Amino acid sequence: MMNICTVTVIGATGTMGANVAGIFASFGNARVYCIGRDIEKVKRTIPRIVKSVRADAIASKLIPADFSEMDSCVAKSDLVFESTAEDIEVKMEIAQKVGKALKKTAISCTGTSGLCITSLAEYYPEDVRSHFFGVHMFNPPYSMPLCELTPTIYSDLELFGELRHYLSEILFRTVVEVKDSPAFLGNRIGFQFINEALQYADRYKDNGGIDYIDAILGSFTGRTMAPLTTSDFVGLDVHKAIVDNIYQNTCDYAHKTFLLPDFFQKLIVNKMLGRKTGGGLYQLVHYDNGLKRQTVYDINTGMYRDVIPYVFPFADKMKRYLSEGDYVKAFDCLVHNHSQEAEICLSFLLKYIVYSLYATEEVGYTIDAADDVMAAGFNWCPPLAMYQALSTVAEVPALISERLPEIDAIIDIDRLLTGIKPSKYDYRLYFRSGR
Amino acid sequence: MKNKVYILGGAQTDFERNWTKEGKTMLALLKEVTADGLVSAGLSFDDIRGLNQDNRVACFVGNFIAEKYTEQGHLGAFLTEVNPAFYGVPSARYEAACASGSVAIDAAQTKIQVGDYDVAVVIGWELMKTVDSKAGGDFLGRAAFYDKESKGIDLPFPKLFGRLADETIKKYGLDETRYMDALAQIAVINYANAKRNPLAQTRKWFMSAEQAKLRGTDTNPYVGGRLAVSDCSQVTDGAAVVVLATEKFVRERQIKDKPILKGYGHRVAPMLFDKKMKEAQDSAYILPWTRQAVLDAYRRSDLSVDDIDVFETHDCFTSSEYAAISAFGLTEPGREYEAVESGWIAFDGQKAINPSGGLIGCGHPVGASGVRMFLDLYKQVTGTAGSYQIKGAQNAIMLNIGGSATTNYVFVVGREGRVVV
Repeated sequence: MMNICTVTVIGATGTMGANVAGIFASFGNARVYCIGRDIEKVKRTIPRIVKSVRADAIASKLIPADFSEMDSCVAKSDLVFESTAEDIEVKMEIAQKVGKALKKTAISCTGTSGLCITSLAEYYPEDVRSHFFGVHMFNPPYSMPLCELTPTIYSDLELFGELRHYLSEILFRTVVEVKDSPAFLGNRIGFQFINEALQYADRYKDNGGIDYIDAILGSFTGRTMAPLTTSDFVGLDVHKAIVDNIYQNTCDYAHKTFLLPDFFQKLIVNKMLGRKTGGGLYQLVHYDNGLKRQTVYDINTGMYRDVIPYVFPFADKMKRYLSEGDYVKAFDCLVHNHSQEAEICLSFLLKYIVYSLYATEEVGYTIDAADDVMAAGFNWCPPLAMYQALSTVAEVPALISERLPEIDAIIDIDRLLTGIKPSKYDYRLYFRSGR
Repeated sequence: MKNKVYILGGAQTDFERNWTKEGKTMLALLKEVTADGLVSAGLSFDDIRGLNQDNRVACFVGNFIAEKYTEQGHLGAFLTEVNPAFYGVPSARYEAACASGSVAIDAAQTKIQVGDYDVAVVIGWELMKTVDSKAGGDFLGRAAFYDKESKGIDLPFPKLFGRLADETIKKYGLDETRYMDALAQIAVINYANAKRNPLAQTRKWFMSAEQAKLRGTDTNPYVGGRLAVSDCSQVTDGAAVVVLATEKFVRERQIKDKPILKGYGHRVAPMLFDKKMKEAQDSAYILPWTRQAVLDAYRRSDLSVDDIDVFETHDCFTSSEYAAISAFGLTEPGREYEAVESGWIAFDGQKAINPSGGLIGCGHPVGASGVRMFLDLYKQVTGTAGSYQIKGAQNAIMLNIGGSATTNYVFVVGREGRVVV
């Protein structure tokens, strides 16, 4: 079994780097060298890492370092985790340096979700190239245990098996093996949904746009957070990087749903990148007296305005049923209501099922992979569970042909659905009675 | 002659869930757990209707204090809102603080034993995340003598069990560090066990011996005397169901391989903690009535500690699990640390305590805990505990306490007949 006593995290002041360092130091019980450009900033990050896993016990295991110490830290490490900016130049340079200093028995990982793992492997010297893997975690990893693991064509498969075991049994990650494909599986499925929701916000801007679509696809549709609120939370720049990467490097039936609407590009140019910059799709306005007001970007006017408290009869009914645990009645409302909003909502849930199954064939290895990534990485009702939920009130294949004729015409839905099986996840806990 | 009491099955909710955050009410909780529990027991709502026509089924609801947490009383009758199949079914609520689930089981098993009903559905539940921890702590203070032990006191229960820790050290002249380290190890074992339980509240959380010993830090502050957060059970939303049945019913339906309730113990100690300690001065045990409840259960089941393969105990705090070790008869009183240090009570030890994770790891929705423990005994002796199965478990025991070890309930569940090796 793999014995990881010492780890180096490169880029430990970033959100992911810091949180991943916490996972190695806590569950992994490893000594972790936390490397950042500015040693003072690294030192200031340590308490945040401790807090991320709620354990003062790890403080003594976190050792701040800067890039000048990288070689010596790497040379002492059993595992190196790179979590720097999604910039090929930066990662290339780090790969070369790590490759030279890495112990011959050690493992090197990248947390990238935007770059090709195999291409990065090629910057490693041949003698350690087989020790390089993609290890993509989700934020925050303490509560989102998904870990997408990618070997390359050069990978030592025995070592890969040991790494997989370490990640799942020691670090308690939900490990999903994925192919070296743009954005891997979780973000491919999740951002297909989120970006198409964004396009719909643009299309329905006269109905309100962003808050209109979020009100249609809120937590009562099987997620913790509405999709555009999620985009705002993740950051518009990160959202753009993910969908651009998928758009440029893949080509499937949903290709056009990865295109960004103009208004979104404009927000990025204006540095309105979401919650982290104090405004993006939404803006929380703080007043001197302590009051706060949630506002939303109005696509038509280009101004922020109050969020509209939409009341859609179908959504209202669903929420009431969900609050009392009447799931079947709630789904029945959704399927048998033919208002514009209910139809948009149901079509998104059906598209989500279809695209998840389609993408998991391309990027994953099993049908369960789609379930694992969406449950453990997004906290969304996973696709097989969604299928089960809707099956309580309708024949889902017939519903797909009826509601998604354009997709039904180009995709062999019957074939895609042949592997459908009961989900290991309970759909009930994902459907919330709230916005 | 008394009837045997069979256990047909049951279910618990995922204790990680926060029903308030999900926007769901107690009705949703009850609908989910009841539906799941009946499926596990091989029954349908139509079966309940059919049985009720001949007055053969009854419901027993365990809950501590829904009047405070959810502004709802009359909880037995409330089941009629869960499903119309419960119209006309005899049903009432049973309360004994954190042992409410057990007193509901006890009422149910009594009715089965005398043959008044053939099927008893026991539902324990509590929604605790409807209020903040300060308000919740005050509600729970009603499990003690409120006026004298809880009123105006922040988190009265951690303080009472902190005093149990003090008294334990004093009574047995223990080395403080050794005792506190044993408590830390108890927390570590419970958290580690919870990692194997897919329905445990803390299954994603981190805990280590080092962290459990770092009491008094930002991430592990003191909450009651010498006890810190790591020594505490959780604030949990949850429910559990078990279904009991008579031998007649089991034969009629040709149900095979179900375990039976082999014995119980029920003893009530003085309400006030001071009086408990004063009375215990004459005993070798710090909680003599807890010990007595265990002895009663062994006697009624004709089993001894040597026959027990799995233990589920009421680790509302590490200090209560510590006291339970000798109460079960695993060690002499005063030498409980030996069972902890030797790894005896760990998952892979000879006498595993709380393979579920217990109240610290799995969670503690107070009115549900007794039923959840009973369900875990059922799972263990039927070999259906999945990733936290103790191999070959034949007999299992549980201890569920209410208040500061005031109400003490013990049940022994096992496979029928002795295994002859």
